[in-house]
Amino acid sequence: MIDINAYLGHFAFRQLRHNTPGGLLRLMDRAGIERAAVSSASAITYRNAQAGNEELAADTKGRGRLIPFAVLNPAYAGWRDDLQICQEEFGMKGLRLYPRWHGYKLTDPASLELIHAAAGRGMLITIPVRVEDRRQQSWLVDVADVPHDEIAAVVKAAPAARFAILQGVGFAGSVLGRPNNGLPGNYSIEISLLTALIANEIGQLIAALGPDRILFGTGAPFHYPESAVLKLDVLDAPAPVKDRIRRGNAARLLGL
Amino acid sequence: MQRRTFLGGLAAPWPAFDGPVIDAHNHLNHRARTSWKEDDRKLIDAADKLGIGKLCCSILPPERPLSLEGFRQSNVYMFEAMQRFPDRVLGYCVVNPGYGREALDEIRRCVEERGFIGVKLYNDYRADEPLVRPVVELAIELKIPVLHHAGHTSWLPAPQPRISDASHLAALAARYPEAMLICAHICGGGDWEWSIKALRNSPSVYLDTSGSVPDEGVVEAAARILGASRLLFACDLSMTVSMGRLRGAALPESDKRLIYGANMQRLLDRRKRA
Repeated sequence: MIDINAYLGHFAFRQLRHNTPGGLLRLMDRAGIERAAVSSASAITYRNAQAGNEELAADTKGRGRLIPFAVLNPAYAGWRDDLQICQEEFGMKGLRLYPRWHGYKLTDPASLELIHAAAGRGMLITIPVRVEDRRQQSWLVDVADVPHDEIAAVVKAAPAARFAILQGVGFAGSVLGRPNNGLPGNYSIEISLLTALIANEIGQLIAALGPDRILFGTGAPFHYPESAVLKLDVLDAPAPVKDRIRRGNAARLLGL
Repeated sequence: MQRRTFLGGLAAPWPAFDGPVIDAHNHLNHRARTSWKEDDRKLIDAADKLGIGKLCCSILPPERPLSLEGFRQSNVYMFEAMQRFPDRVLGYCVVNPGYGREALDEIRRCVEERGFIGVKLYNDYRADEPLVRPVVELAIELKIPVLHHAGHTSWLPAPQPRISDASHLAALAARYPEAMLICAHICGGGDWEWSIKALRNSPSVYLDTSGSVPDEGVVEAAARILGASRLLFACDLSMTVSMGRLRGAALPESDKRLIYGANMQRLLDRRKRA
C-alpha cells in the first residue's frame, strides 16, 4: 500500500504520537503500508513554512519509504526560492497547500503561479480539505474546510497540473464527485474520511470518477491508519480495483 | 458473529469474554426518511461485515426539541425494529425529560413491556438540569443505562444550545453515583482530550468510543485516564472509523475484550439479574 496522506513533525494544537521518522515507519509497518507521501505537520502553523520543509528533508533523508512533499505558502515571501530548493535540493515530489490556514484562496494569482510552477517541475499538488474536524479546533482558531467549489475552480484553471484532494468529506454530493461535471480529469480523491459502508461514498466516487482516481490515504499520525485500511478491506469492489486504490494509482502519480 | 471469528488469526483466545461484539451506540432510521427500511438493512449489513454481534440503537425523531408524540412514535418504530432484528438490535428508549411524568411513563412502558435496554437523552436539556433527575432516578430503579448525547467545542454548534458536555455528566454522576451513565461519542463530540479529563473523577460514567473523527491515540488516552473498564465500543453510524480505531489502538487484548463487549454486557446484565 502507498499512503498519499501522511505527516511528520508537531501540530500546534494537539500532541501527535508516532510523528518521528522511526515512529511513523513503525505505524506503517503495523498497518501494512509500504510507502507514504509525507509533509511537515509543523509547517501548517509555522509562519515560514520552509522551516518545516527543512526539518522534513532532514528527517526523510536516506529513508526511501518516506516520500517528502513540500508545504509552501504563496502568500509568503520567498516561495519561488523555496520551491526550487524543495524540488531540486530536497527531492520533494509534491506540494501540500493549506489555503485556509495560510490565508489565501487557491484561485489567487500567486497560488495559481505556484501551482503552475510546481506542476511544471512534475510535482503532484495535494490539497488537504481540513486538518482537524472543526468541532475540535482550539479556541484560538476557526479554520473552515477548503470549499469544494474553490477546488473545482483551481483544477479547472490548471488543467495541466495533477491534483490529489486529501482528507475531505461530502464529495459525492458536490461538483467534485459528480460524473460529467465539466472538470478536467486531473484530480484524484483520497479516502481517509470517506465511508465504505452504508452511504459508501468511496463506492459512489468509483462509479462517478472511475477507479483510477481514488487514492488510499490515512492521515497518519493524526489518524489511526487502521481505519483507512479497514475501509478498503470491507469495500464492495473487485480485487483489481482495490489494488489500484491501495497502490497503483498513487504509484502512477508519483512516478514510482 | 463472534469476535473471535472476526479477528481470525489476529486474536488471542477470549477467556474473560466470549460474547458478541456489542455496539453501545447506534441508530436506525426514522420513517420520515423514505429509504428507512433499506437504510436499516444497510446498517445490519455493515455490522455483519465488521463482526458486530449486537447493536444498541435508538431512533431519533426529526423534529427538535423532541415532542411527546414524536418520541413515542420513534419508540414504536424502535420496538418494531427489535422484532425485525431479534437478538441483534437492542433498543434505547428516547424521551424528552421536559415532559415529566409522561416521559417517565414512556420509559417504564418501553423497558417493562417492550424489553428496551436503556434510555437515550439528546440535547433537549443539559445533563445537570433538574428536569433530568427523575429520568435518572427511574433508570436507577429499572437498572438500565442512560446514554447521553454530549460534546465539548470551542465553536458551539448553533442548533444545539443545550448540548451537554462531559462536565455536565460528571455533575449528574456526583449526584447519582449509582446511575449507569454513558457519555456519547468521544470521537464525535469535539475536544476529546477535554472530555476524557473531565470524566477522570467520575467512575460511574462510561464513555462510548464512537464518532467520525479518526484521531490516533484517543482510545489509549481514554484507557490510561479512565481505565478500559469504563470504555464501550460504539459506532454511531461511523462504522469503519470506529472499528478501525479500536483495531489500531495499542492496548492489551484483555483491555480490548472489555471495550468490545464485556463492559456493555455487564451493564445489560444488571437488569437481567434484577
